[in-house]
Amino acid sequence: MSDVLAIPALAVAGTDLALEAQAVTASGVALTLEAPASRWSLRARTAQALSGVIGRAVPARIGETLDGIACLGPDEWLADLPAGTALPDGAGQPVSVVDISARGVVIRVEGAGAATVLSSGCPLDLDRFAVGRATRTVFETVEVILWRESATVFRVFVWRSFAPWLWHALKAAERG
Amino acid sequence: MSGYRLPAGGRVNRAAPLDFTFDGRAHSGFAGDSLASALVASGQMLFGRSFKYHRPRGILGMGTEEPNALVTVDRGGAGPGWGRRTPNLRAPSVPLYQGLTAQSQNRYPSLKFDLGAVNDRLGAFFPAGFYNKTFMWPRSAWEKLYEPAIRRMAGLGASPTERDPDHYDATYAHCEVLVVGGGLAGIDAALAAAADGGRVILIDEQDELGGGALSDQALWGEVADKTMALRRLGNVMVLTRTTAFGYYHQNFVGAVEQLTDHLAPAQASGARERLWRIRAGEVILAQGAIERPLVFDGNDVPGVMLSSAGRALAVRYGVAVGRAVAVMAVHDSGWRDALALKAAGVNVVAVIDLRGEVAADLVAAVRGAGIAVHLGHAVTQVAGRHGVSGVTFAPGGTGQGQQLAVDALLMAGGWTPTVHLWSHAKGSLRWDDTWGAYLPDVAQENCRAVGAGAGAWDMGAGLALGTLPGPKPIWQTKAFVDFQNDVKARDIDLAVREGMRSIEHIKRYTTNGMATDQGKTSNLNGLQIASGSLSKPVTDIGLTTFRPPYTPQTFGALMGHHKDALFQPIRKTVIDGWADARGAVFENVAQWRRARYFPQGGEDMHAAVARECLAVRQQVGMFDASTLGKIEVVGPDAAEFLNRMYTNPWKALAPGRCRYGLLLREDGFITDDGVSARLAPDRFHLTTTTGGAARVLAMMEDYLQTEWSDLDVWLTSTTEQWAVIAVQGPLARAVIAPLVEGIDLAPGAFPHMAIREGTICGVPTRLFRVSFTGELGYEVNVPAEHGRMVWEAIHASGQAHGITPYGTETMHVLRAEKGYVIVGQDTDGTLTPDDAGMAWAVGTKKPDFVGKRSLARPDMSAPGRKQLVGLLTEDPQEVLEEGAQIVADPDQPVPMTMLGHVTSSYHSATLGRSIAMAVIADGRARDGQVIHVPMPGRTIRARVSASTVFYDPQGSRLDV
Amino acid sequence: MLLIHCPYCEEDRPEVEFVYGGEAHIARPLDPATLSDEEWEHYLYIRRNPRGRHHERWRHTHGCGRFFNAVRDTVSDRFEQTYKAGEPRK
Repeated sequence: MSDVLAIPALAVAGTDLALEAQAVTASGVALTLEAPASRWSLRARTAQALSGVIGRAVPARIGETLDGIACLGPDEWLADLPAGTALPDGAGQPVSVVDISARGVVIRVEGAGAATVLSSGCPLDLDRFAVGRATRTVFETVEVILWRESATVFRVFVWRSFAPWLWHALKAAERG
Repeated sequence: MSGYRLPAGGRVNRAAPLDFTFDGRAHSGFAGDSLASALVASGQMLFGRSFKYHRPRGILGMGTEEPNALVTVDRGGAGPGWGRRTPNLRAPSVPLYQGLTAQSQNRYPSLKFDLGAVNDRLGAFFPAGFYNKTFMWPRSAWEKLYEPAIRRMAGLGASPTERDPDHYDATYAHCEVLVVGGGLAGIDAALAAAADGGRVILIDEQDELGGGALSDQALWGEVADKTMALRRLGNVMVLTRTTAFGYYHQNFVGAVEQLTDHLAPAQASGARERLWRIRAGEVILAQGAIERPLVFDGNDVPGVMLSSAGRALAVRYGVAVGRAVAVMAVHDSGWRDALALKAAGVNVVAVIDLRGEVAADLVAAVRGAGIAVHLGHAVTQVAGRHGVSGVTFAPGGTGQGQQLAVDALLMAGGWTPTVHLWSHAKGSLRWDDTWGAYLPDVAQENCRAVGAGAGAWDMGAGLALGTLPGPKPIWQTKAFVDFQNDVKARDIDLAVREGMRSIEHIKRYTTNGMATDQGKTSNLNGLQIASGSLSKPVTDIGLTTFRPPYTPQTFGALMGHHKDALFQPIRKTVIDGWADARGAVFENVAQWRRARYFPQGGEDMHAAVARECLAVRQQVGMFDASTLGKIEVVGPDAAEFLNRMYTNPWKALAPGRCRYGLLLREDGFITDDGVSARLAPDRFHLTTTTGGAARVLAMMEDYLQTEWSDLDVWLTSTTEQWAVIAVQGPLARAVIAPLVEGIDLAPGAFPHMAIREGTICGVPTRLFRVSFTGELGYEVNVPAEHGRMVWEAIHASGQAHGITPYGTETMHVLRAEKGYVIVGQDTDGTLTPDDAGMAWAVGTKKPDFVGKRSLARPDMSAPGRKQLVGLLTEDPQEVLEEGAQIVADPDQPVPMTMLGHVTSSYHSATLGRSIAMAVIADGRARDGQVIHVPMPGRTIRARVSASTVFYDPQGSRLDV
Repeated sequence: MLLIHCPYCEEDRPEVEFVYGGEAHIARPLDPATLSDEEWEHYLYIRRNPRGRHHERWRHTHGCGRFFNAVRDTVSDRFEQTYKAGEPRK
């Protein structure tokens, strides 16, 4: 039987997946589950309007990142901040600040072959995906946010219930 | 009578012998052989039986074009029920390995003696369109009699029935230049492209680069040097054993790389195949050309093959195709092949050419090599059935015949540039008289063709014929055009005589060029024959469409990672593991897996659900509701937005209160529902059905972005932010009270349909007081990472109160007892709020909401609409089947008038009887009437109840 | 798989990130109640379905999330151009 079949049942997101979070190294790529952080979905008509409410600078161009905040769309940002960081809720303001810290997990794909492993299911040209860039995209049928931290480190944000599938799909890709 | 291994030569490694079996018989070959070359070397000329007539067939070509020699390769399994058996592999494309096990196909009981060959004797009765014409009547016999019989007799190899133990890889790749085809033209193109510094991918289907040059020893050095040069370049990726099967929009090319099938199973590890999804800036097609067979009586006898195949066998594999070989040519390439074979040590006895004149240097060279030359002649007959024993040839094909004792005949019918991928990408073609073939003309993509595939190859001169001239009329010959589909020249002629004019019709009527072969060897000959029969130039006949895949590919390769445990994501909640450990039975809901019930001590579903239901009604139960869709709606215009989306009013809802929302599509039909809470003037916590979460969010985004973009409000999916634990039953408050802080749970302070924020077990909660059971109930929302901990704490706290975990089946029964609908089960996309008995949820005073205008259409309030009602069977223990049809009079003639169908049906332990809901025409007006549910062998009587509420109609149990 | 130029992201992105959204430039009537049944039917159901140039909506669902409009040739399947929602018909 193949290795894939040998996985009795894909581990459950959250607690069970954390048990598997030790680094896997073969073909020069390590997968790690990142520790929880303070994550927010931020919405406003302009970067300026948002910046004024949350008291932090935010990037204005889609795909750019700045101090832990990525611009995902013309009116959408993702804040990925140290655990415990609070943001003003913007009550009464034309903004939307929503805590999504528990919504998903981040799988860290690290190593010289990181882009190759991700290319097994991500249709973007990752050779041309600049360091410091972030975007929402897909890995096969699963929506992810890809955040390139360095030449050899990609962070993959994924909703909790899709994480086990993605984790094992990345492991399968890494194994080839 | 057969082929043999030449004493020297070829690219095989004679120091590395390999053993293999074919139809159970042991053979041996060398490393570097293909299955076909090794079999020919051991004297095997018979490879299979043809598709329709079961005629004995040998190999025709030595490449991808091979239509005859289809074999099944068995690579062994991984235990009982597992297997690696691949049918329909082309023997010339199967690399030999130690222990290879192959079988011939489409024969019974054996390859040499095949019962199906009776079809060949009866061939006159199986003309083109035979099946269409004959098996039309009686209609009922098709399914039971004709089709199974035909399927047994005709067809290619058998599909494997065992499970596939292999796994498959897939990847995307991006490059500036993709070169398809690794012959010298492709190699040169890749080298030139690489000089520009961009990423270059070169793919080739064979196990080594070189393509046609591998059959020309003079070019081996050049191939080796340039291959080395390519491998040294950092920006070039060379993929061998990789077939580009399809060329799609904007230079997107699909290819499959074989990773292990060329290795002995014991040596194979890792994925079997890899799907490459390549996006290229420019595509260079260097696919080469395929030689055309000649069409004449007996051209399919094993031992008659393409001239290029005889040459590849001799030069590349060191195999003589026969002891005495003749060449039938209408093209110069056959003469060159004769010389190459002779040089390799093959006994070529004659070159026959229909042309009266051939370049003098070729004639002189061939004569000089001791080969007889017969200009202006054509082969008219081939002796032998399982192998060639001689040929007859005659001047002009019609004159006095003379016989020649040979055991192999090579056909040089000219060349067809391979334009399949070019055509996939909608590139146009132009007719070229020199080639007698279509060549690439204008590309639609950033693509160009090079080498023989583009007509850029010195291929000499020749004729482009439909059939060789012969002594017999076409309808008396067995002259094959499409070897794989068993289409003869006379079939095409018959199709034309029966009125087919378009080549697309001729193709479908005769099956010429269809199926896996995609007309690689038959296309041009078929066109030429149709042209002759129609007395029209070839260019007026049209050209059939080439479609992907270029060659057949495995399902596994196309699925990539999506197999077995990775077939698709199975979404699990954070509480799933707890339920799993307690032996819960699960069901799939959308992509989620949900606990359906929690059997104890050998309970079946009926017993478990009855126990769970009674526990909720009498004490308290807990339920994992985390899969409910959730959307956080935030912004100053949040209430205005929801007011426009939902049927009921939202603006006046006070913070801290909840409301049931009914969502229609613009056509007025129910599409979703859910209870939502106002957390603050500008912040709502919406819930949707489990299956509707993504759809509802997309629908709301659509209205927000494209219709009401002036509203300051934003939507964020929080489905997975929150774990949701429903605690339901008269003791619910007592269970959670010790765990909750910062929230006054007293009924006056926290009434039904309210929300409070505080903490539970020390973590933040959005605590809803809502009920989908009709009992006092709470839905505890906590950040997902704490869900399991809070679930276990509630379970522990509930022990003193007899708390019972319950699943979706119990939830369904409890809500049905209360008449609460499940959108998508009790509604089906054709029910209005009134049809569903929920007119109360429609804010008729609102000027507008999504779907309102449609509700005013006359049909939406016309009599006869199906309405959701309750059903009680006369026998209280009878549980109706969901989906069962309902009639007023069971004695009416068939087909009966159906009034509607059962949507929900359960045994209710609380009520001690069955309950059901149904949609029935004018259902509410039938209150108290008996309707009938016809079932196989009997009819069930049930009484209509206009109300769907079976339990606690006053709702007094909620308000405690 | 097509490449589609997202006018918000300002780059070509793979088709799998997008969802098709039907014919473009069909605005929801501001006051549906004033429409006759025929006018409402026309708004709700009647589409041009042309052979050739087609104005249609797409959403970069698995990208920036925005709806936008496109002109695509329904014969060649080629995108002529894409433009932001709210911009006039091209």
